[in-house]
Amino acid sequence: MSAKIQDAYIVAAVRTPVGKAPRGMFRDTRPDDLLAHVLREACARLPSLDVAAIDDVVVGCAMPEAEQGMNVARIGLLLAGLPQSVAGLTVNRFCASGLQAVAQAADRIRLGEVDVMIGAGAESMSLIPMGGHHIAFNPAVFARDEDRGIAFGMGMTAENVAQRWRVSREDQDAFAVESHRRALAAIEAGEFADEIAPFEIESRTPDLATRHVSVQRRRVAVDEGPRPGTSMDGLAALKPAFAVKGSVTAGNSSQTSDGAGAVILASGKAVRLYGLQPLARFVGFAVAGVAPDVMGIGPVEAIPKVLRQTGIAQSALDWIELNEAFAAQSLAVMRTLDIDPARVNPLGGAIALGHPLGATGAIRTATLVHGLRRRKQKFGMVTMCVGTGMGAAAVFEAL
Amino acid sequence: MGSEAVGEIRRAAVLGAGVMGAQIAAHLVNAGVPVWLFDLPAKDGDRTGIARRAIDGLAKLDPAPLAAPGLAAHIGAANYDEHLDRLAECDLVIEAIAERLDWKRELFARIAPHLAPHAILASNTSGLSISALAAGLPDELQSRFCGIHFFNPPRYMHLVELIPAPASAPAMLDALETFLTTALGKGVIRAKDTPNFIANRIGVFSILAAFHHAHALGLGFDEIDALTGTRLGRPKSATFRTADVVGLDTLAHVIGTMQSGLPDDPWHAYFAAPEWLGALIASGALGQKTRGGIYRKVGATITVLDPATGAHRTADRDIDPDVAEILKLRDPHARFAALRASPHPQARFLWAVTRDTLHYCAVQLEHIADNARDLDLAVRWGFGWKDGPFELWQAAGWRVVAGWIADDIAAGRAMTNVPLPAWVTEPGRDGVHAANGAFAPADRVQRGRSTLPVYGRQAFPDRVFGEPAEFGTTLFETDALRLWTTGDDIGVVSFKSKMHSIGEDVLDALGEAIERAERDLEGLVIWQTEPPFSVGANLSGPSAPRADRPKPSGLASMWKKVRREAESAILKAAHRLNVADALMAGRLEKVEGIVAHFQETSQALRYSRIPTVAAVDGMALGGGCEFLMHCDRTVATLESYIGLVEVGVGLVPGGGGCKELVMRAAADAKGGDLFPFLRRYFESAATAKVSRSAFEAQALGFLRASDPVVMHRFELLHVAKAELRALAARGYRPPLPSHAIPVGGRTARATFTAHLTNLLAGGHISEHDFRIGTTLAHVMTGGDVDAGSLVDEQWLLDLEREALIGLLATEQTQARIEHTLKTGKPLRN
Repeated sequence: MSAKIQDAYIVAAVRTPVGKAPRGMFRDTRPDDLLAHVLREACARLPSLDVAAIDDVVVGCAMPEAEQGMNVARIGLLLAGLPQSVAGLTVNRFCASGLQAVAQAADRIRLGEVDVMIGAGAESMSLIPMGGHHIAFNPAVFARDEDRGIAFGMGMTAENVAQRWRVSREDQDAFAVESHRRALAAIEAGEFADEIAPFEIESRTPDLATRHVSVQRRRVAVDEGPRPGTSMDGLAALKPAFAVKGSVTAGNSSQTSDGAGAVILASGKAVRLYGLQPLARFVGFAVAGVAPDVMGIGPVEAIPKVLRQTGIAQSALDWIELNEAFAAQSLAVMRTLDIDPARVNPLGGAIALGHPLGATGAIRTATLVHGLRRRKQKFGMVTMCVGTGMGAAAVFEAL
Repeated sequence: MGSEAVGEIRRAAVLGAGVMGAQIAAHLVNAGVPVWLFDLPAKDGDRTGIARRAIDGLAKLDPAPLAAPGLAAHIGAANYDEHLDRLAECDLVIEAIAERLDWKRELFARIAPHLAPHAILASNTSGLSISALAAGLPDELQSRFCGIHFFNPPRYMHLVELIPAPASAPAMLDALETFLTTALGKGVIRAKDTPNFIANRIGVFSILAAFHHAHALGLGFDEIDALTGTRLGRPKSATFRTADVVGLDTLAHVIGTMQSGLPDDPWHAYFAAPEWLGALIASGALGQKTRGGIYRKVGATITVLDPATGAHRTADRDIDPDVAEILKLRDPHARFAALRASPHPQARFLWAVTRDTLHYCAVQLEHIADNARDLDLAVRWGFGWKDGPFELWQAAGWRVVAGWIADDIAAGRAMTNVPLPAWVTEPGRDGVHAANGAFAPADRVQRGRSTLPVYGRQAFPDRVFGEPAEFGTTLFETDALRLWTTGDDIGVVSFKSKMHSIGEDVLDALGEAIERAERDLEGLVIWQTEPPFSVGANLSGPSAPRADRPKPSGLASMWKKVRREAESAILKAAHRLNVADALMAGRLEKVEGIVAHFQETSQALRYSRIPTVAAVDGMALGGGCEFLMHCDRTVATLESYIGLVEVGVGLVPGGGGCKELVMRAAADAKGGDLFPFLRRYFESAATAKVSRSAFEAQALGFLRASDPVVMHRFELLHVAKAELRALAARGYRPPLPSHAIPVGGRTARATFTAHLTNLLAGGHISEHDFRIGTTLAHVMTGGDVDAGSLVDEQWLLDLEREALIGLLATEQTQARIEHTLKTGKPLRN
């Protein structure tokens, strides 16, 4: 069904380690610095590529303001030292922004307009709170009952999903425990080594005793979120975070995080011209809308849509990176579509690894393409739910 | 002396980071005095860890020792090994380590070389001999040493006993008393250097007397507590619960101090910890701090120790209804007579404890205090008794009570047979307190009030029974309110309604008072003769006149936790919002008229031609808060509990409170983004937030940063008048009215609504809460207008009034009010 002229290949995929927000290792690190870092590192992995050949850098960001405001894509690529001739575009589809950026970059190649693109994502939830610094709702949101869901916090929508899809507290907590277990095992096994570009944090604080600016540097290479010792008992003790009688807690929800990821995409022509090694082929991408008050169910619509579009059977997917916004919605999606839990998030998910909103799509694409190759698997998917009621899903084929 | 002496103490040190030491340090920083808090060096890890942990622990104590969380940063942790040189910068050093004479002496010897040559050294011992402590000090320190005994919790308990050492310099003592009074806000009583000083001596004696008579009459401890709590004008924790709160080991210690230090006391035989107390301590049950003592919670059941069996039983014994009736008698004479006449063991117990306590006070007065007023105030301020022992005695009829006591002594019913001192029964004696002072037995004179200049700041100090209770010269008076002066040209307005609630009659009279002040006076101070400032509006018609004897103390209430106090006040305010009747009679228009009248009065406070100052102590809730926000200045004591609490009874502030918050948000924003400021004010009104100190009220925006905070409640009027004079001196003109107040409009309202939508969906609030919240949002965002629209004050006042009446017309708000009136509890519907 795809009307593409040529394929788009992922030739490099990197990410920062993910920090906890708002008090984690990147609490004072600017997201545009994280972005510049992954752009620089992605290019560094392709020494034979002429960076002037990059046409455009598409960057996803869910709350594009303040430190990640203006046009963070353009600012980030200039700070990364890319040629001024390279353009930059910031896109926002909330939690799917990073994946949207990859898809949009791929599409320019697939249309035959250009041959080298970057798709990326960056988000600091430490510096820019969810909803941004100045939330200003439209009063019309409250005029019709069906629009009220626009005003719902994400946790409330997860409660709605838990209730309507009957996902128990115990199942949610068990899912969260497993996410931490898998993430810790993956870190232990060095599974993220291929994708993580270690970052040097530089902090500058006033030392009031010496009257000097104290500059501290620290190299970080490991995700901060996974918590050893996460247990059913420990999680059971947590109070519902959003609804008085609810089941969604801080322990079975994704963590708020900071991070960035970037992938370089190239046409077959560019692969040959620059002597690049394709990691994966971009197969297809779909988005779909659902009711805002149950936004977490979005992948239920987006996944079949992209499979129909690409003609790939669900059973052919070896690896599904399903963003764990909440255990409740992850379980509801898996159960509704009858997805084999063993193939979902084998290295853990956002409950353990964190979810830096607009960066997640690019970060998990990097995880997927390296992971598929390591395990010699073929088809993989990155999918997530999106605030105000959407789902997004992209399919990749390892090469 | 005065303010210079206060300024002399720029920095202090507290030695000993225990519960008292850390809390004294906290109160010093409340008063703006930076402190070093010392303790022993930790054996491993952070060497100042002990003091540091004590500072961190302050945040967990309830009631809060710190009046604002950020103040903890001004307490520096220190240890004796590394930081003694820091003592050189301290003007006052307070020792608060464990009660061991040898340890204290050892510590003094160690620190003495490091003290500044002018520094004052004071011990917070609760009962050790000050002269024995002084004996070990180097000569040059002798004149700069004394005892200062704080009561727990030191921020809230008014009393500090000041105990001169043999060589204490009078000027040093005066300077310290001045500092303790104005800077720390404490009520200072000079005590003689006898074991346990004044308040603990009498207070612990009454506990020992209760132990003795409970045993003799076979009464249960829960029964005693039902008798000796609020019914007797004592703290709710009464006798045995107080012991659990204080700590049974501490209690045993102070009993031990009396046992060893008072061998010649005629009651010495009773100065022993009962067997059951020793057994509890030996088993590690020390009271509240070990979660079990005389009382113990087993599941949902409260159990109490049965001293006969040594086991705990269910605490279910209560006061006998007939005895309860006796304690309701307002006239103390009738009350004591009825107790004496009753054969009921509970009544016999109450008379016996009262008799022996009065007997003890009479015999010991000359040994422990200068005069009867000092003893009465010490017991009131330190133990939270509503009346001092001599006040009770005198109020019940001095001579007849003296006769009863003498009869009991003669009949062998009293704890000892030592006779009453001769002065008690001398001809012509009708009491100890009179207009010309309080009886001082050593000099056999009536002692007047201290002439120390600091007391010039207290025109109306805490009175004792028998002292005249007049407040200046009346200019104008109704049943609701009095306008008076102290002979100058500043008008003082004091409400006469119960809890100083604001009804139509208060509004009428306040309007009149403002008019008179504009005509004849320099300005107006709203000051109540006792706390609270006001619990808010009363829409029910004439304010109920106050029934109790007015007494500017209210310190008994300090025992209650601040939060509980505020909550119950909200309920009481709700009681007073007796709109149910008016509503049933279909008088909504009448209520609307009262609300409009309220708004006009608030505006009159703002725009009158004379300056207005609100002098706030204790609660200022709802309408009380709205009044103070409209005055040119508010002067507030540290213990000011301020908030707009109307949503608690299903309403929104309607007396200009919402308007004030909107104007303050606009002023804070200074033309920039309004919303973050508005959001903070919206949240405090929407959650009925009440400040737990004046500093917190500043942070919440009910007080302005320019509104002074006063530490001593009895200096409040003095400072309020000084502020008013300063306003008048600059050639006061009322502020120009605001015609261009920017509002958040429909967008800000929608954003608040989004938040409330989530709370509703999550089951945190009810449908009616949602309605109240969105109604409040509507008012505070300026109504259904574009963001950034400019409105005037009347626009906002009209929104307030319409919103309040709209909510009053709902069944749910009516149900809340009715329910609260019937049950005294809030209704969540």
